[in-house]
Amino acid sequence: MKKHHVVVIGGGGTGAAIAYDLVKRGFNATVLERGELTSGTTGRHHGQLHCGARYAVADREIARECMEETNTLRKIASESLESNYGLFVALNNDDEEFAPTFIDACLESGIPAEKVPRKQALRMEPKLSEKIGTVVQVPDGTIDAWRLPLQFFAGAQEGGAVIRPFCPVTGVDIEGGRAVAVRIRNLIQQQDERIEADLIVNATGAWASQITKFAGIDIPITPAPGTMLAVRKRLCNMVISRLHPSGDGDIIVPQRGLSIIGTTQYKTDDPDDIKVPRADVDFLYRCADEMVPNFSKQPFHAAWIAARPLAGKSDSIEDGRGLSRDFVCVNHAQHDAVHGLISVIGGKATVLRAMAEKAVDAVCHELGVQEPCTTTETPLPSHRRYYRQGVK
Amino acid sequence: MSAQRRTFRIMRGGGPAGSPAALQTYSLELNEHATVLDALEWIRVEQAPDLMYRHSCHHGSCGTCGMMINGKPKLACLTKVDNLASNDIKLEPLVGMEPLGDLVVSPVALMSAYPDNSGYIRESEVNNDAPRPQALSQFERFENCIECGLCMAACPVDEEFQGPAVLAALNRELAKTPERRAEILHAAGRPDGVYRCARALECSRVCPTAVYPAKHIMELRKELEKESSAK
Ligand SMILES: Cc1cc2nc3c(=O)[nH]c(=O)nc-3n(C[C@H](O)[C@H](O)[C@H](O)COP(=O)(O)OP(=O)(O)OC[C@H]3O[C@@H](n4cnc5c(N)ncnc54)[C@H](O)[C@@H]3O)c2cc1C
Ligand code: SF4
Ligand code: FES
Repeated sequence: MKKHHVVVIGGGGTGAAIAYDLVKRGFNATVLERGELTSGTTGRHHGQLHCGARYAVADREIARECMEETNTLRKIASESLESNYGLFVALNNDDEEFAPTFIDACLESGIPAEKVPRKQALRMEPKLSEKIGTVVQVPDGTIDAWRLPLQFFAGAQEGGAVIRPFCPVTGVDIEGGRAVAVRIRNLIQQQDERIEADLIVNATGAWASQITKFAGIDIPITPAPGTMLAVRKRLCNMVISRLHPSGDGDIIVPQRGLSIIGTTQYKTDDPDDIKVPRADVDFLYRCADEMVPNFSKQPFHAAWIAARPLAGKSDSIEDGRGLSRDFVCVNHAQHDAVHGLISVIGGKATVLRAMAEKAVDAVCHELGVQEPCTTTETPLPSHRRYYRQGVK
Repeated sequence: MSAQRRTFRIMRGGGPAGSPAALQTYSLELNEHATVLDALEWIRVEQAPDLMYRHSCHHGSCGTCGMMINGKPKLACLTKVDNLASNDIKLEPLVGMEPLGDLVVSPVALMSAYPDNSGYIRESEVNNDAPRPQALSQFERFENCIECGLCMAACPVDEEFQGPAVLAALNRELAKTPERRAEILHAAGRPDGVYRCARALECSRVCPTAVYPAKHIMELRKELEKESSAK
């Protein structure tokens, strides 16, 4: 049987995991990324391995998926994770009232949330505020935002995928209602190329509507950037979150020798036109100090910003797994009468493998292929392997 | 907020496509917080859509954005434009890695030189005698080295040399897996190993994550001396 060739546009975490899943199911795959790999949103995210506790009250199902994926990533990509758990800390009466709801929701989602006596929490993490009340331990962790996708790229490449950074897609060719090829500018070789595909997966996140526009399709996406702020000191080992309904500036993620507070959210038109609002920096310092009082006294390291893609309301966007779960997989054959093009938008870095599984299920469906997903079992090659295989 | 106009001279071309490397001038307004990477992003968006440079994390963790900034190896994302001595800023690809055009270099040689099968996780240095979740045998964290290659670019040794990043990784691997001692010391003691180090200490000065590669090289030398005096 002929091997189908699937072109994946976008070399973020989603594109990486899709390419890996594709080659494991016997497809030929090419990834096209306009810049360096993970130079979009993926490389810049906050770096939290979400066990799902943060989402449990609002949505048990996404919480359950986060827990499953956290366990899976620990099995297949442990070298790109600091697996140190997390503490949710209550700081006022509202937080205390929220605590039982939070714990119940976690347990109902399969997350082993456990109350930790206050004194014990202060010994586990001595830099925590003396003002903490109820403390709940959950299996959160830290992701290396660059090396985790690189492990997926290494696995994809080992399976024969061609990964091409610095190759922006500049057009999509439609013939007889079907997307049949992409046009790229190869920046390294300084030439234009046309690449034929049996199917195209658009995994460009906040940039997704720019790609669908090439195919004459309008999908409304609102880029929603958020700021992160790092200080140069590892103040904790565990992820520290405020025990309240998810909000801004309520998570401190430790990573290497850094502590990182995040994040905020506003809306913009162009995912490339984002700048850290200075007010965010002061706001984030204040939020961090409430949980870890000396946070703002540590040397400043960096402040940066990344854009989430918020799926706008539209009849043509199918709510693949519920918009509240902020992941959509759109088969444009069903909605826009363009065959051969699937867009995958949103989600979390933590669930990149699961998103890829659903996207490749859709690819299989569209191409009439029956191959089960096999990406949960085998450990991925090391991140260095991606380069050690000799790519440039 | 005070915005200032800055001039960047950026090396363009110079990759396998054959266009000769040449400096091109760009100028733009920047506030006092802007990093060199911020400047590159805005130059790309507003003036030069095909400008190539490597970047991912924007906070000194991925190690991709190393380049020569006014002749010195630095991370673009951690270098504030305001802190540079001159107002005329020259950006060139990181030395010591194969250039692929504009500011892009290939990390293949460096990534391939790291010791085989060396893990990227180590024990956390903070608070590890504290109580911790039952399932954990230790609090852990990523290695300090972000594989940026700045130390390799700064090292003045001009003979065949594995280089500071690789030797530092060997010493970290020795600390974590003493059972690999013979193999690791063999690699460190090779002609292109620790004895090539001229103790210029440039590596430790430029390292953005305080790996102090020179210290690791000295430690490996001591271990090698122990071995030879035991014979
Ligand atoms: C502020 C913030 C904090 C976050 N924190 C966390 C967290 O702590 N934990 C977590 O699990 N998740 C977190 N997330 C979510 C996570 O970052 C995203 O879900 C994930 O990175 C999305 O990956 P992606 O591959 O879909 O998108 P992207 O990483 O944006 O990938 C899309 C790629 O497409 C490329 N592209 C665009 N146009 C073209 C073109 N024309 N041709 C070729 N390529 C193109 C872009 O350069 C980009 O690399 C956070 C998100 C934000 C915004
Ligand atoms: S030792 Fe420091 S300078 Fe050298 S590659 Fe590692 S992080 Fe970069
Ligand atoms: S962009 Fe990651 S180290 Fe600079």
